Amino acid sequence: MAYSDKVIEHYNNPRNVGSLDKKDPNVGTGLVGAPECGDVMKLQMKINPDTRVIEEAKFKTFGCGSAIASSSLATEWVRGKTVEEALSIKNTDIVRELSLPPVKIHCSVLAEDAIKAAISDWKKKAGEGDPAAQTSAAQAHS
Amino acid sequence: MSAAGELDDVECRELSRLAKKSLRKSYMSSTKTQTGAAPAQACWNCNAVAGGGHFCAACGKIQPLADGADYFAFFGLPQKLKIDEAGLEQRFHQLSWKLHPDNFVKASEFERNLALERSSELNDAYRTLREPVLRVEYLLLREGVRKEGTTKQQAPPELLEEVFELNESLDELRTARNDGGDLSGLRVRLGEAQKNFQEKLEEIDAELLHVFSEWDKSVDAGADDNERRKQMAKLNEVLNRRSYIRNLVRNVAQELEA
Repeated sequence: MAYSDKVIEHYNNPRNVGSLDKKDPNVGTGLVGAPECGDVMKLQMKINPDTRVIEEAKFKTFGCGSAIASSSLATEWVRGKTVEEALSIKNTDIVRELSLPPVKIHCSVLAEDAIKAAISDWKKKAGEGDPAAQTSAAQAHS
Repeated sequence: MSAAGELDDVECRELSRLAKKSLRKSYMSSTKTQTGAAPAQACWNCNAVAGGGHFCAACGKIQPLADGADYFAFFGLPQKLKIDEAGLEQRFHQLSWKLHPDNFVKASEFERNLALERSSELNDAYRTLREPVLRVEYLLLREGVRKEGTTKQQAPPELLEEVFELNESLDELRTARNDGGDLSGLRVRLGEAQKNFQEKLEEIDAELLHVFSEWDKSVDAGADDNERRKQMAKLNEVLNRRSYIRNLVRNVAQELEA
């Protein structure tokens, strides 16, 4: 399978690899996975509770190049965005940016799910939000 | 970097190679099977109704493969998932002998080709049906429930934490190996994790057998399409979880042996 240049670039120089303190009340953690290729993706964001701006984003992904590139790109995109802006990122945006082939679309879906899961986790910690709405958003792809 | 290497689709490809091959066949013929019972095929040789078997019921000549026939039908089996594997093997040997191209050396080129075609189908069908996982994958591919690359696969959410930790340990082991560090502690930890996930795999296999029975019951009961779809979705879900865990167990085994 031939990867696009952008995927290879992210794979070789992944942005924001690492982790944040899971217990920090301002940190939201999203852990998502897909079988078959065995991908697991952890995406964490540090969110300013006053401005609702995502100040920091880290990821760790075990999986193929496309999954790593998708999550790397996701951390780049969410940084500096508000929670609401980050929630509007669609997996199709990632597909377009990275020129993912059809068999790798699930990697971008995983990245979108990870963003939503991380924000949902943060909202839960902050005592806001409607977890049911988050779940249905994450399931909209299935 | 935490890339666990290219685990990619090699396994998926391998597992579904046979099933896809036959799927293509069934796609090509699906329009015919949907219009109801397949038209009674006349024997190419004697024009009698051939009876749908490997050989004409009247003149005994070898017959072309029927449109839309599946691997189950090839062995004269219903589309059930619990199979008497010893009986299947026996039937395979009988058919191998009957369809063997050596029996057709003096026959026409047309018949020799039919024998070749049927022998090859026999081998594919047997290899697929004798393995429970390949068997159910085949059924789901054929019914359009499972598609390569497009179906969203869901990891078992209750295991994600453990899966992630296991991957981190694997990563640590690789790093420590490269740096010449002490591996013994890590090996013990991974060995325990491996045992744990092996047990989970066995639990899933038991669950798979249970949904096999449920499916077979609904086949026996002549369940409607709705019920069939529901059962197949369940089968698909268990399969997805299984392949996830199986990949993990395999990766850990590889790393521990390395």
